[in-house]
Amino acid sequence: MAAEPRYLLDQGPLIAGHHDDGTLNKTLLQFIWNKAGAGWFALMCIGLAGTGLLTVAVTLTIAKGIGEWGNNIPVGWAFGITNFVWWIGIGHAGTLISAILLLLQQKWRTSINRFAEAMTLFAVMQAGLFPVLHTGRPWFAIYWLFPYPSTNKIWPQFKSPLMWDVFAVSTYFITSLLFWYLGLIPDLAALRDSSTSKRKRQIYGVFALGWRGSARHWHHYKIAYLLLAGLATPLVLSVHTIVSWDFAVSILPGWHTTIFPPYFVAGAVFSGFAMVLTLIIPARKFMGLKHVVTARHLDSMAKVLLCTGLIVAYGYLMEHFAAWYSGNEYESHTFFHARPHGQFGWAYYLQMFCNVLTPQIFWFHWARRNIAVLWIGSVIVNIGMWFERFNIIVTSLQQDFIPSNWAQFHPTWVDLSLFFGTCCLFGVLFLLFLKFVPAIALSEVKELRHEIHAEEEHLSPEAGNTPMSELEGAKP
Amino acid sequence: MPPLKLPIVDAAADGRPWRSLSERAQKPEPSRELSEQAPLETSRRGLLQMLGASAAFATLSGCLKQPAEKILPYTKQPPEVTPGIPSHYASASTLDGYATGILVTSNEGRPTKIDGNPEHPSARGAIGVLEQASLLSLYDPQRAKVFRYQNEPRSLHDFLAAAVANGRALESKQGQGLHFLMEPGSSPLVARLRERILERYPKAKFSSWSAIPLQQIHDGSALAFGSPYETRVDLSKASVVCSLDADLLSALPGTIAPMRQWSDKRVPKGEGADENQMARLYAVEANLTVTGMNADHRLRVKPSHIARFGLALLGRLAKQVPALSQYAPLAQKHELDATQARFADALAKDLVKAGRGALVAVGPRQPPALHAVAHAINSALHSDCASLSKPVLHDLDAGPRALRLLTEQMRAGAVDTLVITAWNPVYGAPFDLNFGKALSQVKTSIYRSLYEDETSVRAGWMLPALHPLEAWGDARAHDGTTTFVQPLINPLYGGMTEVEVLAAFLGEGDRSTYAMLRELWQSKSPKNFDLTWEKWLADGFIQGTATKPEQPQVKHDAVLAAANKLQFADAGFEINIIPDYRIWDGRFANNAWLQELPDPVTKTTWENHARISPTFAAKLGLDNGDLVDLSLRGPSARAPVVIEPGHADDCVTVTLGYGRNGPGEELARGLGFDTSTLRHTDDPWIAGELAVVPTRLSSPIAQTQEHHSMEGRLIAVSTQLKSLQATNAMLEEHRGTPLTYHSPVKYPGHRWGMSIDLSRCTGCNSCMIACQSENNIPVVGKDGVIRSREMHWLRVDRYFLGSETDPGVVFQPLMCVQCESAPCEYVCPVNATVHSDEGLNEMVYNRCVGTRYCSNNCPYKVRRFNFFNYTGNFSETEKMVFNPDVTVRARGVMEKCTYCVQRIERARIRTRVQGREMRDGDIATACQQACPADAIVFGDLNDEDSKVSRRNREERRYDLLHELGTRPRTGYLARVMNPNPELA
Repeated sequence: MAAEPRYLLDQGPLIAGHHDDGTLNKTLLQFIWNKAGAGWFALMCIGLAGTGLLTVAVTLTIAKGIGEWGNNIPVGWAFGITNFVWWIGIGHAGTLISAILLLLQQKWRTSINRFAEAMTLFAVMQAGLFPVLHTGRPWFAIYWLFPYPSTNKIWPQFKSPLMWDVFAVSTYFITSLLFWYLGLIPDLAALRDSSTSKRKRQIYGVFALGWRGSARHWHHYKIAYLLLAGLATPLVLSVHTIVSWDFAVSILPGWHTTIFPPYFVAGAVFSGFAMVLTLIIPARKFMGLKHVVTARHLDSMAKVLLCTGLIVAYGYLMEHFAAWYSGNEYESHTFFHARPHGQFGWAYYLQMFCNVLTPQIFWFHWARRNIAVLWIGSVIVNIGMWFERFNIIVTSLQQDFIPSNWAQFHPTWVDLSLFFGTCCLFGVLFLLFLKFVPAIALSEVKELRHEIHAEEEHLSPEAGNTPMSELEGAKP
Repeated sequence: MPPLKLPIVDAAADGRPWRSLSERAQKPEPSRELSEQAPLETSRRGLLQMLGASAAFATLSGCLKQPAEKILPYTKQPPEVTPGIPSHYASASTLDGYATGILVTSNEGRPTKIDGNPEHPSARGAIGVLEQASLLSLYDPQRAKVFRYQNEPRSLHDFLAAAVANGRALESKQGQGLHFLMEPGSSPLVARLRERILERYPKAKFSSWSAIPLQQIHDGSALAFGSPYETRVDLSKASVVCSLDADLLSALPGTIAPMRQWSDKRVPKGEGADENQMARLYAVEANLTVTGMNADHRLRVKPSHIARFGLALLGRLAKQVPALSQYAPLAQKHELDATQARFADALAKDLVKAGRGALVAVGPRQPPALHAVAHAINSALHSDCASLSKPVLHDLDAGPRALRLLTEQMRAGAVDTLVITAWNPVYGAPFDLNFGKALSQVKTSIYRSLYEDETSVRAGWMLPALHPLEAWGDARAHDGTTTFVQPLINPLYGGMTEVEVLAAFLGEGDRSTYAMLRELWQSKSPKNFDLTWEKWLADGFIQGTATKPEQPQVKHDAVLAAANKLQFADAGFEINIIPDYRIWDGRFANNAWLQELPDPVTKTTWENHARISPTFAAKLGLDNGDLVDLSLRGPSARAPVVIEPGHADDCVTVTLGYGRNGPGEELARGLGFDTSTLRHTDDPWIAGELAVVPTRLSSPIAQTQEHHSMEGRLIAVSTQLKSLQATNAMLEEHRGTPLTYHSPVKYPGHRWGMSIDLSRCTGCNSCMIACQSENNIPVVGKDGVIRSREMHWLRVDRYFLGSETDPGVVFQPLMCVQCESAPCEYVCPVNATVHSDEGLNEMVYNRCVGTRYCSNNCPYKVRRFNFFNYTGNFSETEKMVFNPDVTVRARGVMEKCTYCVQRIERARIRTRVQGREMRDGDIATACQQACPADAIVFGDLNDEDSKVSRRNREERRYDLLHELGTRPRTGYLARVMNPNPELA
């Protein structure tokens, strides 16, 4: 490859090398049919151990109370809500890639959309833990927030953003799940058809919902997929907008900011893409997916990272500008004293370094093409985005209007275990996903290959040398 | 024929009556005396468990039965107790010999709240912190419950038998070797018993001990007048007050009445204000006191130099007041530095100008000569603010001097029987006496105490004391008014009063205190006694029994001689030992309410500290929480440092009462450090040559307020009399209805509101304990406070203004301000906090799921969250302290001030039954009722004439964080200071 001349507009192939549907089938499903390697088992063990820790922390929280966390008055929310927002943010990449990029007909989405959607689902699952866990009485919170008609005629408070969160997050989860599953059906059928044993064939057969790949199936499938994409598109904007309202609707300096909805959505996409990169770079290496997740894909994602990073940086700038320009003493205190010079001043500078400075490296082509730089950069952005939420939530609460309220915040081991534990549970779910479900949207990649091939045929003078077998064998 | 063995025959032989065969088969019921005798072969734990169980049963009897002895309700006498309707009884709380009149609320026979007796001259309805919190000690399951002899359980009868035997032996020696070490007291009944004991045992000796003795006050007045007098302060006539280490505004016993008088002098105009000029307060002290924090001018000097300042002041006054002319040389003798001299000059001038309105008050820790000097000044200025009267205490010499005499006799083997009713002398005695060791040498020692403490393990007999709410008694108030102590509940655990211990030596140990008390007062007022007695008990005191003021002449030569004798060597670093505002000398150390109550000065809880000035801290390289070793002619004490702005340099202030290790007081054990190793008999309060050795260690400080500056924000507004107009104009835009596009909500019925006058508030914390007691507020412990999880619905914020070395201080009581447009309400997802039609922001505990969103959105941060189940492990006795009108909150629930909604509803029911509308004054919130300074007023804002409406109309009024548009129902009145223009 290195010897090939590079052209300005040539971004590299979306599928590397020459493949036919058969080789794609084989290469993309080999991870499922092969026996799991030691690496997979090792990661699984770590993940399960962490999930055990999560179970302990959750049990302790429910049995003893929120006192097991570091929260206090004034810092009523801390790790719990930070984790919630962080996970929800990560969950944004999936829908964005699946829905918006589909509608915008961005071809490079095909290899990574399944991956991103699965990540979304698992991230939203982690996020969903926290709103319930962070309440003082989760056994009531789990259903009192829903507007069910009860005999005591008490309804939830519809003015509360937490109430809106319930709808936003649950809608998002359901839509994402349907979208993911719908896209999965042809691939499950492919799995069924290439199963090596009867039991596997039966199991995948059940989940494939009787897909036969007829033109009629494809017709309905395409319409349903497009409809769901249309349905999911506003959700990309709405979910994190509503999550940001948890803060923007309050009157707390540092929270009460009109820029929050776009700034949070951009931040969510930013962190979501960072997480996709963090996960897909090792996955493409160890699962042998380099031919479908190419440098071109990584390059595109790095560009999204750069773009959303700039929006986030603009958000930071405007927050500070508004604090200064408003002349509001509480706002300026929060932005110019509490955050940079408070107990978590280091976290503020860390956030700025991670989210503002780090993405700037992706202006450079070499950085976008260097796997190590990309991966480290994505991890840094993930860290930075966690601290962004932490700073917004904790430092705003720490020093608000009346100085006698001000207090320090010290997380406990339960706080740390919950965060680490959800990361591990996320990892476990992800490993299961990689092992049992095609991580790359097989049918879409095949479709893409056909399209590319058709284009090549059209453009290249050597058209026509495609094997016949390949042209007719559009097997599902 | 052999007799038929019928059961009835056996029973007759047994001598027990029986009603059924099954009853007969049972073992006989143990007698009451036997039940007090715990099984001998049990572990301590097992014993405590059994005691817990028996306490629970005692509780039941306490719930169901009124005390058999007749006591009278304070206001109306109901024919019987109506369940759900509390009754109120007048009683008294005594500390260091003086009584404070209290009014106890009793719910079905269990006392649940202590307030000030509105009729009693000591309090006039207000009350301090210690009296209120003593309620919690009543129900403390860690109280002493068992009579012990040499740490083995015994019964009351064992003790009485031993006392009789011992008494007989002593009688033969005319009481030689019999010594009583008493709690300082003024009780007429105890006085009578003491006389009778001396009749029976002529050679018996009585002395009193308190770790916080008033001996130097009496020595001082004896110096000035030839015989001891007590000063009664009347601030209603004061215009210039100089406090030389006197804590006049602290709400400690004896200061409640002066605080009310003072608060009226500190309001520029309007409601309740004195028409005259505002009074002015100067304070000279080493550590910040509540009084010093309220002073218009405060001079910080090393503790030993307070007296020197007093002499210099006298020297300056000598030039202006002819009656004091002979003291003129003192001014030259005691040269002051420039700051001090300027202060003293202005103060002297101001005092002379004030004339009859001048007062120089001296704290009990100051040397007698300084007290004498103050008497000379007050008398020369013909001050109306200090009147003198004969002391009411039995033993004026209740300090280390008397204890040293006793200890020497104990060592010499001259004490055969020592009866201790004073509180814990082994812990409280100065280090050099080694009282504990001497006590072990006494053949028969008897100790009566509420807890098994440091003294009880060394004493032979340990007698559990009755709590004052379980006992009869009498005492004199600070002004001499005879006050009665009435029991509110049957003794929970059994025990003895001080009177009963004395009576045991007269062979009358089986007589009840009630009988003796009644007999005494019947003998004093035989005519129509039953009616008089009932009136006395209903009132709680005898009208017109205050001691008469006298006008003794000051012996100026003696005063001058004493003044000249005072030496002021500069002896390096000084130790400055002060009583603790919360646990006093340590007797309240097992009281969780008091432990968690923040110190009014440092806002620290649960332990004591080495308080030092910022300059001194910088000099030693210390920061808050760093541990230092303090030592003074003895072993060292390791203390965490707290930097106290306004503290004098080169000295360390420590409070008494911590570092406890008695076996009974589990709550207090291990908290703070013991200051007794730093105390010596020659001066138990202030001493030089203190060694301060920093260690490299530190420990977290449990502080309820971590930030002490207002950051230039308009939070607690403080202004000066001369700039009052400008401040009022500035406050114009910080009150009233802010612009809004919402149509205003109408409150046609009542519109509850509150007004807090920062000019009156002294920051004494009395409201905090009142709120805690009224609203069943749990404590969270030291760790909880370190994590900022304290539950106080009402807190008193304390801000420092100006420089760190000489700061001004302003207080602000802050509880839920009941916003009309409340930020907490719209963010709660489950509608758990809602608005009432009278404008209360109500918290529905049952509905709360605990998202804490309301707290996050509360700009005042007055909401409190139950992070754990704080009340879950309460024992049966502890549960009795709860106010039945207020829900005990569960874990995971948010809570906050309700404006005492339960009191509003009670008043509503009461007035509805009476068939009338609620009027102003029908409702007083708990904080308002307790406040000694009348700073808090609650009422209906729709009533134009209500006190709260009138206060709200004042020009000093502002709304906290008005710009947020929350429209708080609580309004604040800006604090006004009255500094001397000369010192400005």
